[in-house]
Amino acid sequence: MTALMIAGKEFTSRLFIGTGKYASNSLMAEAIAASGTQMVTVALRRVDIDNENDDMLAAIDRNKYQLLPNTSGARDAAEAVRLSRLARAASGINWVKLEVTPDPYYLLPDGTETLKAAEVLVKEGFVVLPYIHADPILAKKLQEAGCVTVMPLASPIGSNQGLRTRESIEIIIEQATVPVVVDAGLGAPSHAAEAMEIGADAVLVNTAIATAADPVQMAIAFKQAVQAGRLAYEAGMAPASKKAHASSPLTGFLRNET
Amino acid sequence: MNRTLTINGSEKTFADSQWPVSVADLLGKLQIDQATVVAEIDGQIVERNRFSETPLHHGQQIELIRFVGGG
Repeated sequence: MTALMIAGKEFTSRLFIGTGKYASNSLMAEAIAASGTQMVTVALRRVDIDNENDDMLAAIDRNKYQLLPNTSGARDAAEAVRLSRLARAASGINWVKLEVTPDPYYLLPDGTETLKAAEVLVKEGFVVLPYIHADPILAKKLQEAGCVTVMPLASPIGSNQGLRTRESIEIIIEQATVPVVVDAGLGAPSHAAEAMEIGADAVLVNTAIATAADPVQMAIAFKQAVQAGRLAYEAGMAPASKKAHASSPLTGFLRNET
Repeated sequence: MNRTLTINGSEKTFADSQWPVSVADLLGKLQIDQATVVAEIDGQIVERNRFSETPLHHGQQIELIRFVGGG
């Protein structure tokens, strides 16, 4: 299996992991380790000044995993840029998963605000990985703006509906010159495998692993599915057809042909 | 005279004797580990290495932010 390069950094694992919704930091750490991932996303929120705050970063070995702060909660470009700068100040890391989601019900990304924020952030030296709808034109514009990947959604965040945007993602994969990371909505290992089989460079999974009855085992299941999907893509999939094509010889049957 | 700071959206009043002289002092008084947070004063980011030399003034809006799990 070939390695994935993003912004000059090599990733041998093509599974990126979100760290939200885990029952505990120790379970999160165990699932991350089991997944084999080398990239984990984190979010920024206000400190609760009246209660004790646990330091989730302490559970993540930053020598082993590329930290990818996200701008979740941003409703427009200005908020996303502000969160990115805060993330950089907090972590010293200039990678950012850019997400602008003004609608709290479907959490769909705002393409125009995302592009606006990406242009500012790239100029400021950020390594920008934008979360987008599966929009090939927007993907192209973000790529031209200097984003290092595009991250089209499979279906709404946390919905576990799978690859509902397959046709559009296929177009993005066909046209993109930066890696395509399918993000959001992958609810089962088979969904992740499907995304990899059609040529996605990587997938990002959070809810499906974090909220499984056994997140560690589910992390392993996704790891294997992503590997299987990638191997199949690199092997070159046999084409589908409507008609049957016999696998066994069509000669030498145990009967006399008339 | 009491002075106030708005911290993460809620107003806190400090008696003169309790006034935090710096961001680092404020974090200490709130029992927050400096290494885990980033601060913003009136919309301007304060780098962590400047926490102890950054003074606070009455009426400022302070944001204290940290990393949490997210996708």
